[in-house]
Amino acid sequence: MSERKTGVYLCSGCGIGEAVPMAALEGVARTEYKLEPKTHACLCGDEGVEMIRADIAAGVNQVVVAACSARVMTDRFAFEPVLTLRADLREKVIWSHPAGDEDTAALAEDSLRMALAAAPKVKFPEPWIEGDYSQRIAVLGGGVTGLNAAREAAALGHDVLLIERSDRLGGRARDASLRLPHRPPYDKPEANHIEDLVAAVTAEPRIVVRLGATVTRTGGMPGKFAVTLSDGSVEDVGAIVIATGWRPYDAGKLGHLGYGVPGVVTNVQFEAMLKAGAPKAASGKPVKSVAFVQCAGSRDPEHLPYCSSTCCATSLKQALELLQADPAANCYVLYEELRTPGVAEELYRAAQRAGVIFIKGKVKGVDADLTVHVADALVQQDVPLKGLDMVVLATGMVPNSTDPDAAPVEYGADLLKGDVDPEAAIKVAGFCGEAPAAPERRAQAVPPGGPLLNLQYRQGPHLPVLHDGFADSHYICFPYETRRTGIYTCGPVRRPMDWAEAEEDAQGAVLKAVQAVRAAAAGSALHPRVGDLSFPKIGLNQCTKCRRCTVECPFGAIDEDEKEYPQVNPTRCRRCGTCMGACPVRTISFDNYSVEYLTTQIKAVKIPDEFSGKPRILVIACENDAVPALDQAGIKRNSWSAHVRVLPVRCLGSVSLLCISDALSVGYDGVMLMGCKPGDDYQCHFVKGSAMAAERLSKVGETLKSMMLEPERVVQVDASIADADRLPGVIDGFVEQIMGIGFNPFKGF
Amino acid sequence: MSHVPTPTQTYDLSFARWVYGHVDGGDRLALCMQCGTCSGSCPLGPQMDFGPRKLFMMIRAGLKDQVLGSNTIWNCVSCYNCVVRCPRQVPVKHILQSLATVAVREGYPGARETDNARFAKAFWWSAAKYGRTDERLVTAKFYFSYGLSKGYRKSMANLAIAKGMVKARRMHLGLPHKCKNAGELKLILARAAEIEARHGDAS
Repeated sequence: MSERKTGVYLCSGCGIGEAVPMAALEGVARTEYKLEPKTHACLCGDEGVEMIRADIAAGVNQVVVAACSARVMTDRFAFEPVLTLRADLREKVIWSHPAGDEDTAALAEDSLRMALAAAPKVKFPEPWIEGDYSQRIAVLGGGVTGLNAAREAAALGHDVLLIERSDRLGGRARDASLRLPHRPPYDKPEANHIEDLVAAVTAEPRIVVRLGATVTRTGGMPGKFAVTLSDGSVEDVGAIVIATGWRPYDAGKLGHLGYGVPGVVTNVQFEAMLKAGAPKAASGKPVKSVAFVQCAGSRDPEHLPYCSSTCCATSLKQALELLQADPAANCYVLYEELRTPGVAEELYRAAQRAGVIFIKGKVKGVDADLTVHVADALVQQDVPLKGLDMVVLATGMVPNSTDPDAAPVEYGADLLKGDVDPEAAIKVAGFCGEAPAAPERRAQAVPPGGPLLNLQYRQGPHLPVLHDGFADSHYICFPYETRRTGIYTCGPVRRPMDWAEAEEDAQGAVLKAVQAVRAAAAGSALHPRVGDLSFPKIGLNQCTKCRRCTVECPFGAIDEDEKEYPQVNPTRCRRCGTCMGACPVRTISFDNYSVEYLTTQIKAVKIPDEFSGKPRILVIACENDAVPALDQAGIKRNSWSAHVRVLPVRCLGSVSLLCISDALSVGYDGVMLMGCKPGDDYQCHFVKGSAMAAERLSKVGETLKSMMLEPERVVQVDASIADADRLPGVIDGFVEQIMGIGFNPFKGF
Repeated sequence: MSHVPTPTQTYDLSFARWVYGHVDGGDRLALCMQCGTCSGSCPLGPQMDFGPRKLFMMIRAGLKDQVLGSNTIWNCVSCYNCVVRCPRQVPVKHILQSLATVAVREGYPGARETDNARFAKAFWWSAAKYGRTDERLVTAKFYFSYGLSKGYRKSMANLAIAKGMVKARRMHLGLPHKCKNAGELKLILARAAEIEARHGDAS
């Protein structure tokens, strides 16, 4: 980069000019930073933007805009490849603090100082683009989900490698009779056209099908995955869609519901009987009287703790099929809570109309003569259900997140020996007000079998699991993601779902995969920092091989080379900066983000001496939820203490403890980390970032004590996007708490 | 009306299916989802052996004797709260009254002994005979259905009310009023009975 020439632009519009003295702001730039600012009454208007463009044409190569929040007018103040820094004077300053007040003016000045001080520390990022990128998408699993995913990817113009473990396409749908309704009026079982889908996929020239194949190892990164198949061939793919579906819960464990008694079958076995023709009882006669036992091994802490969401509708469908063949048949559905999500309610109505009898109550046992004992909750008595020909156990879905035929791999034990356990339950660190109890660690059980992809990642061969074998993801905002960038799950392996849902799920995951291969080739980040071209750069000459970055990266982006130095796989990276926050020697940085970039801003704030009676509180706020919530609070004109300075960060995971110790040593009286909720029901957009921050903060107390500082000066609070009304109170509560403790004794040193 | 089947075990569906097919409104009974809105809405609920919700489930469970012997079917006052509120449009009131008729036919003791059953009988006697209800005759018939001494006591207990009604010209002391053409009324009722019998058999 040639000589840095920074243009400073102040906006006096939106009431900024009336609320704070613009001359003082101009003075800050002029005297403290030796930069000549330009003030405009409407900087985002054509005239203002043209003014900036003219300066850029005349040689300005970095722009500082002090106007509204960095979250608005991003398109107006985008002058790529010139980097724009934003200082917020509006949402978090004049809209949330009284006009004309000296504290508000000081806040505005500090906001400008932070941006001006940070400007020399950053540059417009140069993306990492190296070698060839594959645009091909691998789809694992040739069932309904996989077939739809393959077809969708091909329709979007991508070559597809469809890998199926068995020797035929179609998956479990091949063994099913009719399918659940998916068209209005959603009230009857519909024809199973799986053959048509298989034929369409087979006829598509972009799709290469590999039957009888499994993946033995997967190396590389998005855009550059090398997938080794069981026949030894190696395929280059850009992204991977996992559509391996489900396996039925092991009915062998359901002896208490009579499994093992002749005539007691699972819903999967009954489905096959329906496909083969009229189901026959043990006597050889057609089935006349059937009881469907719902939640067989589901929503049961001893078995599957979750609801598979489709077993109820499946039993309704099977009962309707039976009644269609023989309207005089007796069908009983024994349920505890019948769950018919969405349009499946119509199927429930249809089943009622057809005469299916629904009995609410717990099944207490099944006799050898197929008498089912139910604690009938509706007639409030224990009822024996006699004269049945068949009992169908509606078992749930277990995700195929492992390959049942492959040998299990020791996961974690020696791979992570001596390291920080990335799966450990997160302690709740400092908290303003009532601290919630630490969540209990949930079962992380992976279904029996070996890893699906056998990832050659430092963090192990499996996709990280949230619980019960389902892949970990921020499933509200990014449903298809896994914690391995470029690898997406869809269909029942992601969560239990039916055929129609799996079709939509396949489309969603494929769109993410397409985005992944295209972003990888452009050197750009994926969600939530879509378009970010920066990537972590590690100064290996300072690296102490402590391996914290390789262990703590939520996405396994950093491997270790032969010499145990960290090795970044840039397209796996999501740019959260958790590695940067982890690095004890601060040698990990991004072109446009670094520890120095943060500490410079912290130090740029003017700290008043204790005789002024004014504290300074630093709020390090996550850009994903906390900053938007504070902006929203400003928009709603909610007010909070003007003694607070907000420092936006990519993720709390990127906050180095150095930021906190620097803040306290320059005289801030308190530091609040404001970010997404950590823990098992986390809201962190980078999965582990806020949890890592909490983990680090739990160790900061001792350090503070050794500095003769009160540990209560540093807290972490949860913020969600909807907290605009709550956060001002939280901040003010913290300020009050700090005032109770007293001023920081390091002030003025 | 066809023969009412008697189930041999719980959830023998013969009785439920007969009710679905033969009772007024029974065709919608299959759609009852046991939400309990009817029982929760019923002003007479506390006086019933059990509410309509449970009654309907007992029909499915084949508990014929408990259903037809219950006072639930006699305590309905036709306020229509349940009918208006039922999310599945089950005509609860119609079903209860129709079941009461079945209970009378099948000779269930509750059908003769409850207050409501006795009153309904007295009311019908007057209406069918005169085409009108006469307060004195209906109450007398109702009170004395409990026997002579009990009927006398009940009559005396309500004497003050009767006097007040006469004074307010709400009850007259002459011969009972009759509708015109009582003979035609008889024909109408005979025809209705004929239709009812046929209706029961046809469905």
